[in-house]
Amino acid sequence: MHESAIDRTAARFRPILGLSLVPLSVAYAVLVMNAPLDRVQGIIQKILYVHPAMAFAAYLGFLITAVAGALYLWRGEEQYDRLALAAAQVGVLFCTLNIITGPIWGKGTWGRWWSWDPRLTVTMLLWFVYIATLLVRSFTEDPARGARFAAVYGILGAPVMVLNYFVIELFRGRAIHPENLEQGSLGDGMGWPFLVGAVVAILGSLYLIACRIEVESLRAIWLQRRREAPDGGECT
Amino acid sequence: MNTFAAVLWKDLVTEWRTRDRAVAMLVFSLLTVLVLRFSHPMGALANTDEIAPGLLWVAYTFSSVIGLNRAFATELENDALSGLALAPSDRGWIFAGKALANLLILSGVQFATAVFFGLLFDIDFTPVAGRLALVAGLGAVGLSSVGTLFAAIAVRTRYREVMLPLLLLPLLIPILLSAVRATAVLLESGVLPDGPIRTLLVIDAVFAILSFITFEYVLDE
Repeated sequence: MHESAIDRTAARFRPILGLSLVPLSVAYAVLVMNAPLDRVQGIIQKILYVHPAMAFAAYLGFLITAVAGALYLWRGEEQYDRLALAAAQVGVLFCTLNIITGPIWGKGTWGRWWSWDPRLTVTMLLWFVYIATLLVRSFTEDPARGARFAAVYGILGAPVMVLNYFVIELFRGRAIHPENLEQGSLGDGMGWPFLVGAVVAILGSLYLIACRIEVESLRAIWLQRRREAPDGGECT
Repeated sequence: MNTFAAVLWKDLVTEWRTRDRAVAMLVFSLLTVLVLRFSHPMGALANTDEIAPGLLWVAYTFSSVIGLNRAFATELENDALSGLALAPSDRGWIFAGKALANLLILSGVQFATAVFFGLLFDIDFTPVAGRLALVAGLGAVGLSSVGTLFAAIAVRTRYREVMLPLLLLPLLIPILLSAVRATAVLLESGVLPDGPIRTLLVIDAVFAILSFITFEYVLDE
């Protein structure tokens, strides 16, 4: 049967995630509006509450994609493939938002749209890698084979990105991203909106992943019923 | 191991008899160098030293994509790919045979490209030829290992000629960065830089091992 552990979990948590996002989003908006203005950067600094949050959600999606892909190759169960597909799509979405919000902040603060900073470069490459996993899947006729190809590529992509980070740091550039946030590096009143923003983005991406899994599992059930139907599943 | 030798031998003999792939790669690579030379103001070669290593690797990368696209295309005829998949041995060895054949062909093309590049950009590679060959070879090992894996994927998708570069290029960046850096230092000072060479070795090992292991799932008929 198609209803397996991952599909059940997605179906159970989707409504809870959706409901919890409503008050959290309101709180997030209020917190961001009331957060103090940065003395140097002004209003544009408020992108701080959006931009890194998108990155957290994107990295989470990609991590899930790689792990689910490996599990799919290992166990051969379709549920892992559904998870990998859902996480890759949602990851690409958040990565796109991250790449869009980044240059807006960069132009306002660093004075230019793009810099070959390691974190920037790796994020852009990640974006290309995960778009390629989605493309290779949709360009392969046999869905099971496409799923395998995507899983193999996703598994190769993850370590290469880690490697990439070090190589770029080694040869290319000075990093101009701030180092990992240390305790108290955010000004007064900036910690909460940042934290709530990250939570909203992560819960939001999990919610979308759950929605996507439900669609895929319904599709799988529909395909199976069509195969089992005596008239070959023709619509009447 | 037998599979490895058989696949390698078969690929090299086929290539020797037709010379399709090597010729196509070579002509494409020379044309790339020509286009790159034209993108530079004619006659003015003031800052060649800065950009030459990068341009050389652009030519290497593009010609390897052309060659890799053909690596599995020949196996589609008469469904030879299924025959390969049925070979009673670890499929990793099929991968190794294919990858080494690709590596040897690519190395030949790299050599001819470097000669042509040197002539057009007025760079004398002869004093560092041996060390340059080492850097080119290390880069080619990485290119051929992931390249062979992705060629096996791309050949069974629609738009296969487009799919290969889409898969390959994002993952090649670490190789290209270290190879270009190593080439630049080599051309400037004549010595092999330690750091980039060590990085290239690490990346080659990671790519070769991962491709060897995952090839099993790519050739799953």
